Amino acid sequence: MTDEALVARAVEGDVDAYAALAEQYYSSCARIARRMLRNDADAEDVVQETFLRAFRAIGRFERGREFRVWLFTILVNQCRTAATSRKRRHLRFSDDEAAIARAADERPIAVVEEKSAVSIAVDSLEPLLREAFVLKYVEGLDYAEMATITGAGISALKMRVKRACDALRPKLEAIYHE
Amino acid sequence: MSDVDDEELFERAGAALRSPSANDAAAREALVHAIRDEPRRSPVTTSRKASPWWMAFAAAAVAFVAGLGTGRSMSRPPSVAKAGSGDSAERRVEFVFVAPAARNVSLVGDFNGWDATATPMRRTDGRTTWSVAVPLAAGRHVYAFVVDGNDWVTDPQAPLSPEQWFGQRNSVVVVPVGDRGS
Repeated sequence: MTDEALVARAVEGDVDAYAALAEQYYSSCARIARRMLRNDADAEDVVQETFLRAFRAIGRFERGREFRVWLFTILVNQCRTAATSRKRRHLRFSDDEAAIARAADERPIAVVEEKSAVSIAVDSLEPLLREAFVLKYVEGLDYAEMATITGAGISALKMRVKRACDALRPKLEAIYHE
Repeated sequence: MSDVDDEELFERAGAALRSPSANDAAAREALVHAIRDEPRRSPVTTSRKASPWWMAFAAAAVAFVAGLGTGRSMSRPPSVAKAGSGDSAERRVEFVFVAPAARNVSLVGDFNGWDATATPMRRTDGRTTWSVAVPLAAGRHVYAFVVDGNDWVTDPQAPLSPEQWFGQRNSVVVVPVGDRGS
């Protein structure tokens, strides 16, 4: 069933249809939130809150819009709110938590290590550059979609992606060419 | 390195970050449970004019304080008392927040200097609901709740202020002018 059909059913109050959308987009949302917040637990909370907010608001979803872009717009706003709250609470990302998470991961070591190294490189970017890089290269969105989601102009987004790439290039080369 | 090689490098990095995470399956399952536990919505049959999602939330909140809201489970948007017959440039606004596990909750906003000690909330519904009523002038106010002294949270039943990027985002209540309270 297409997103459009699932959304139409969800608007009519079909919880199963919305649950199907949530299952489909959970991983994408989790990836964006993890990179934006650099903390898996915070990201999980934000993703859950995003889906629940979207569910409560789905009656106001505009037909013809792409559900994924609408959902990511809510997610990005939620991440920004969470980052602001976190700053106020003076919470800090713990490298120990990341190490524990990696230790519990049962995938092949090479895959885990590559993802971990790339994550550290991307996490070192400034927030706006990180956000632009993740939306373009991790989620494969085009600039028009990114502009809708972030509220930034296309030329500003292109500049952010370029700056992100410039900053990442030596780190990625070190990871992949060593 | 050429642009083609560059593109390949960044695409490869993106692909690495797309590999599944160990915790996703359990978290996805928990989310689906949470969705199924949400109160059922009534079907929506009318189409709406295009507007940003947060404006839709804002419109709903304004409707509520104007006396048109239906209320929901959990927290509810701030409710504004009817204007009195006196001088009354200010209206009494009741804030309600559900936080069963909290030891204390306070209200902070532009009306009390964001002081977490200025407006403590009290339990009003067994051990789950916290509330406080404060006099507010007509207009738009920005606020948040502080749980246990350090956890700063927005009101789940109210719109967020639309500030962009990492600027402050908090909940918004609009106090109407005149005798239109709920």
